[in-house]
Amino acid sequence: MIINPILQKDLKTKLRGWRSTILICCYVTLLAGILFLFFAGNGMLNPVSLQSFNPRMAINAYNILITFQFALLFIAVPAITAVSISSERERQTLDLMLVTATPARTIILGKIMVSIAHTMLLLVASLPVIGIVFFFGGIGIADIAKLLLFYLLTAFYVASCGVFFSTIFKRNITSIIITYIFLGLVTFGPFLGFIIYVLIKERMLGIGFNPVYRDFVKWLFPSPVFGYVSFYFGSYGGYGGYIVGIGDIQRQIEMLLAAETGIWKYMHPWIVNGLFSIISSIALIFFSTLALNPVKRKL
Amino acid sequence: MKNVMVRTENLTKRYKNTLAVDKLCMEIEEGEIFGFVGANGAGKTTTMRIIAGLLAPTSGRVFVDGIDISKKPLQVKKQIGYMPDFFGVYDDLKVTEYLHFYAAMQGIDKKRTNTLVDSLLELVRLTHKKDAYVDTLSRGMKQRLCLARSLIHDPKFLILDEPASGLDPRARVEMKEILMELATMGKTILISSHILHELSQICTSIGIIDSGKLIACGSVREISEKMSHSGKLKIKVLSDEEEAVKVLLEIPEIKAVSTASGIIDVDVAGRDDTYAEILKTLVEKGIKVVSFQPQESSLESVFMQLTEGGNGNDN
Ligand SMILES: Nc1ncnc2c1ncn2[C@@H]1O[C@H](COP(=O)(O)OP(=O)(O)OP(=O)(O)O)[C@@H](O)[C@H]1O
Ligand SMILES: [Mg+2]
Repeated sequence: MIINPILQKDLKTKLRGWRSTILICCYVTLLAGILFLFFAGNGMLNPVSLQSFNPRMAINAYNILITFQFALLFIAVPAITAVSISSERERQTLDLMLVTATPARTIILGKIMVSIAHTMLLLVASLPVIGIVFFFGGIGIADIAKLLLFYLLTAFYVASCGVFFSTIFKRNITSIIITYIFLGLVTFGPFLGFIIYVLIKERMLGIGFNPVYRDFVKWLFPSPVFGYVSFYFGSYGGYGGYIVGIGDIQRQIEMLLAAETGIWKYMHPWIVNGLFSIISSIALIFFSTLALNPVKRKL
Repeated sequence: MKNVMVRTENLTKRYKNTLAVDKLCMEIEEGEIFGFVGANGAGKTTTMRIIAGLLAPTSGRVFVDGIDISKKPLQVKKQIGYMPDFFGVYDDLKVTEYLHFYAAMQGIDKKRTNTLVDSLLELVRLTHKKDAYVDTLSRGMKQRLCLARSLIHDPKFLILDEPASGLDPRARVEMKEILMELATMGKTILISSHILHELSQICTSIGIIDSGKLIACGSVREISEKMSHSGKLKIKVLSDEEEAVKVLLEIPEIKAVSTASGIIDVDVAGRDDTYAEILKTLVEKGIKVVSFQPQESSLESVFMQLTEGGNGNDN
């Protein structure tokens, strides 16, 4: 198989020298630092309390780590992809790519692969830190595998958005701003819509809102946070304790999901959102290719 | 008969309110070095970008080696090497890496790339800069590197947009030598400039473009001959316009006569000598000539303009 030339060039130049190695080390140190502070803050590094180890703490630490990574994904991937095509344009190298035998689709895919590769690198580099949590127990390998898959799908989607805006907007700065605004809307907009929906429903019916799982899905499927909820504390609960915020929502959703029948029973939030990510990424790549193609085919 | 490498049919490109290329028809035969001359904004770059498949024409068609570029763009791109009028370099790549990248983009086998890059660097005389970062090269070197890049897939047909602009006289000579070398390798070259003089030395034929129209085409000698063998006159007579037209039509050197609002337009095969003869005949036939003005044709004025800039100082 031929490696995408754009990916090849990016890996060659970005991984050259010590810069990226140092960056990755910093990143892993940061993750480890977060973990350390968390454990220290909860008195878990105290030899006395170690005896009364609470596995719930490991789960919480895990939640913090994956949340941090999820947020990082939303900051880092657009930063790479939202300038991917527009910077080639600004550097005047875009034409030079377009006159080659490489089709526009391969150029777009190459740019996406570059950002996925960097995301993978960061995720894989963080595995040892997550492994510490793993060592404390409570989380299975399958959970981590599912999480990585979901993060990859999300990275793919975010990257496709970035590349798409980078293709249709001529300037880097416009593309960056529009990409972040768009992702912000997609991420938080559905929740806002959902809250408004619930409020209106309660006002109209005059009674408490009694949701079914499909109500959530209907509103929240485009938001990556909806998918991410699947992994927060996960469905491997049973450790009790007080759960507020996302964990609460997660619990509720899983309960409603359990009450579903037929194919819906298997439609976990991360699967629903993952499917949405795949489909919209394909559409975005298609439109990016169309926009990049200099000589648009007349149909 | 020679194979036609490039043919454009009524090529037209309209931007919002400018007609950049206007029903342009041209043919370039295989092995030719075709010089594309025109003033700033004449439409050279636009035409070349269309031929390179970077821009869709508003109407009209382009055939490269017999293939319609809008039908099979990727197949045509394999035949074309395009060097734009800017560099386009990555600041974090070395000279060899730069060429390797474009070799990969052209789908060239990795094993072949090393020797290919070496021979190209030799051709453009950059072997000594092999390991330098691209953005540390001088302007002339970058230009030659870009030429090497456009040659990486061994295209039959080269489109070079002002390859000599901004070069000092020595670098110009060097660039010229490289182009001659390419011509002996059998490449067909379309090269643009706004200096006629510069192209006339290396080109086998020249096309002059003005406001998007190809106003003359042929070897430099053919074009200047054509100019010295035809002219236009504007004649005004006091009265008896019809009589004057009759007299004019009897003169063999006169190809066409037309009248509009009291002025007689005359197309003449010939220049000053013939003009004098025509005036003499009119006067002898008793026609009262008020004014008698030789006209500069548009080709002529453009030609003069392009030749005047002949000694460098472009950009
Ligand atoms: N992207 C564009 N949008 C609008 N008008 C354009 C665009 N590109 C070119 N034009 C116009 O088309 C005309 C032809 O431009 P072109 O660049 O082809 O000229 P040129 O012969 O290459 O000139 P030069 O010698 O300066 O390079 C000009 O009037 C220019 O303003
Ligand atoms: Mg130009």
